Amino acid sequence: MIEAAAQLAVNAVALGAVYALVALGFVLVIGAVGAVNFAHGELVMLGGMVGVGAAMLLPADLPVPGLLVLPAVLAVMAAVGLAVAGIAYAPLRRAPPTAVFIATIAVGLIVHHGVTVGIGPEPRRGPPLIDSGILDVAGVGLAHQQLATIATAAALIFAVHFLLQQTRFGRRLRAAAQDPEMARAVGIPVRLTIAVSFALAAALAGAAGLLLSNQYLVTPTDGGALMLKAYVATVIGGWGRIWGAALGAFAIAVFETLVAASASYLVAEALLYLGVLAVLAVRPQGLFGETTGRRA
Amino acid sequence: MTGPDRRDLVYLAAAAAGLGGVVALGDTYALRVATLVGIYAIAAIGYQLVFGRLGLLSLAQGALFGIGAYTSALLTLSLGLPAPLGIVAAVVAPAAVGAAVALPIARLESHYVALATLGLAQLALLAATNLELTGGANGLYGVPPLAVGPVEIVGGWPMLTLVWTLVGLCLLASRAMLAGGRAARFATLRDAPHAALTLGLNPVPARLVLFAAAGALGGLAGGLQVHGIGVVSPSVTGFEVMVTILAIAVVGGRGSGPGAVAGAALLIPLPEVLRFLEGSYLAAYGVVLLAAIVLMPRGLDGWLRDRFPRRPPAVPAAASAPARRRGKALAVDGLRKRFGGVTALDGVSFAVSAGTVVGLIGANGSGKTTVLNLISGLETPDAGQIRLGGVPLAERPAHHRTALGLGRGFQHPEFPEGLFVLEAAAVAARDRSVALAALERVGLAGRAAEPVAALGAAELRRLDLARTLATEPGAVILDEPAAGLTADERSALSALLRRLADEGLAVLVVDHGMDFLLPLADRIVCLDAGRVLAAGTPEAVRRDPAVVAAYLGQGAAA
Repeated sequence: MIEAAAQLAVNAVALGAVYALVALGFVLVIGAVGAVNFAHGELVMLGGMVGVGAAMLLPADLPVPGLLVLPAVLAVMAAVGLAVAGIAYAPLRRAPPTAVFIATIAVGLIVHHGVTVGIGPEPRRGPPLIDSGILDVAGVGLAHQQLATIATAAALIFAVHFLLQQTRFGRRLRAAAQDPEMARAVGIPVRLTIAVSFALAAALAGAAGLLLSNQYLVTPTDGGALMLKAYVATVIGGWGRIWGAALGAFAIAVFETLVAASASYLVAEALLYLGVLAVLAVRPQGLFGETTGRRA
Repeated sequence: MTGPDRRDLVYLAAAAAGLGGVVALGDTYALRVATLVGIYAIAAIGYQLVFGRLGLLSLAQGALFGIGAYTSALLTLSLGLPAPLGIVAAVVAPAAVGAAVALPIARLESHYVALATLGLAQLALLAATNLELTGGANGLYGVPPLAVGPVEIVGGWPMLTLVWTLVGLCLLASRAMLAGGRAARFATLRDAPHAALTLGLNPVPARLVLFAAAGALGGLAGGLQVHGIGVVSPSVTGFEVMVTILAIAVVGGRGSGPGAVAGAALLIPLPEVLRFLEGSYLAAYGVVLLAAIVLMPRGLDGWLRDRFPRRPPAVPAAASAPARRRGKALAVDGLRKRFGGVTALDGVSFAVSAGTVVGLIGANGSGKTTVLNLISGLETPDAGQIRLGGVPLAERPAHHRTALGLGRGFQHPEFPEGLFVLEAAAVAARDRSVALAALERVGLAGRAAEPVAALGAAELRRLDLARTLATEPGAVILDEPAAGLTADERSALSALLRRLADEGLAVLVVDHGMDFLLPLADRIVCLDAGRVLAAGTPEAVRRDPAVVAAYLGQGAAA
């Protein structure tokens, strides 16, 4: 009984930490360009696939295979993020945000179905971060993979926090998100900042994909649901609020894990969407209002 | 009236060529693809009403298609209803869903519209996949074909003819929905939402009707599909149908019905052409969608419009006599407004008698525009009352205030894309001769048949004034109408405002400084930090020591 509860809790925290990574990348792009990146979930899936592929290149029996491929996943996905910015955002800088939204829908289609055609629709298992062992804590067995997932996600979240709060890039990013014209006027390279935001967002998505790929496998159809959860998390956390979105994502994972354990995953999903519709109907400005003011 | 639009002739020629192609190929396979093109064209014509005309990125059109398909399949299979009645239900049920979601969704910001409609679509997909009623993942099969009496319409020419007849009817219906100036009003609601409100346009009925119509056409397409192929599975409510319709709308050109048909004709056969790549057609749709939004954002229809411009509207032979609405006194009393922690207005009271011009001056941030926003209803006061001809306004929505006789001009007016000057001026007018009279008053009557895009910034502000005057207001409030005008334009504007007051209107004019208002205004109200600093005749206000100290000091020295 205690064991089951402890495992459930670790499950929820591990999933929550990964969802928080996904939502962080999603909300970074919203902050940078004011538009939803509809392809974000596909980038999570792609990161998982990159992890699967990179692990196949490693010699067998190396220790900590997942941690070894993590830097490669981050680098490849950062490059993918730059490409997404170049294709779906740069040509549409002066277009309304809806145009960027639609362009990212198109990118999502290309990634999703490109992967399906390229390597097939089968689910694939990514490398474990450390190994597939079990840690015995006072008679409760906890999977190494889940503990390492929590630690890795926490380290990445902390790194993003440091980057945003303590570095010049972070200040520029936040300034550009609040008021791009003013930021440009005071000499912040807004285009560079936006490109880096896309790269960072994609790298975080890729890391999340790698972290999910061992326990949950990775399938080309995974992206849509992940993007939708990040989208919902952003509404829960307050549109455009970076840490609000991360907390919202964590809450979704806990909710999902608990409801799935007591009823089913299907019920969890249905309740989540019904909840979103109810929130939007009752509080059209979102659960906690918006940080960025609307411009007339 | 004016003969056919040459763009429509191009579409008709393309349709004839398409028909010729199908006849030449002649096999059942070509007929099936052509039928599918028609079915998606119907769904996309409906989607254009919400996506194109309202400018809302709804992601529920695929779900409405699926709801139509399942509704008709269930009614014909389990209740034994004849298929034509099933189709009727397939139109009605999604229309009702569309109308039901339109109300809560209509108030949302665009990124929430996408999420709410996507959530709705996910729920539809979950229901279709998991309910016993809908046959779960297997779906329903053995759905009877459409029949006219004993004659069954199964595939081939009969089905093709039926579907394309309906495509034609849907195009006519959507054209009728946009006739009589409604296209201009929808465009104003979409591209100039603030101006739309102060012109008295109510967004709610427009959204209700267009969402319902989009649902009806989406459902009709789904119903035709299910009776054409006899089976329905959860994939009809899935994202693939939605992105196909979205890609058709973008490629065809935002808002255009015939463009949607052309987009469907280009995109639907694509999977057949790309069959050697198996499931890759959606990736190809992605490439086409991306290319369209980047390289051809106005789509095929926009490309055609550049070559065959829309005809200018017929300009009425004579402007109607100036409207004789009685002037109405405007009064504000104790207006307060806070934004977050900042007090923008702190108890502002003044009155504008009918037949007078009152100038409202003050430094940047003193609250001038906030006063106008509260009077016109774009913002709600925290306290205080607004009266027009003695009628309290503060509790009424912005669009009611126009009907009561309030007109508002903007400093940076918004105009919808693609209208002619007369159409833009007539957007809230009783008829076009009233709008022409208003254009005459601001000196733009000679340009009534030109596109709005041909006007300069100062002329746009005069057009904004004209569309306001065309509502025949009893009081007008204008935000810095003289900013950026040449000396000649300023004196013409000054004369016009004087004439409006002489006809009995109450005229409230916001301006930065005194020089425009001094010879014009009967009274001046000077705001400072959200309070009335001084009020009186222009001479008295100019000499008021507080005004000189706080505000005019620098101006007088310069």
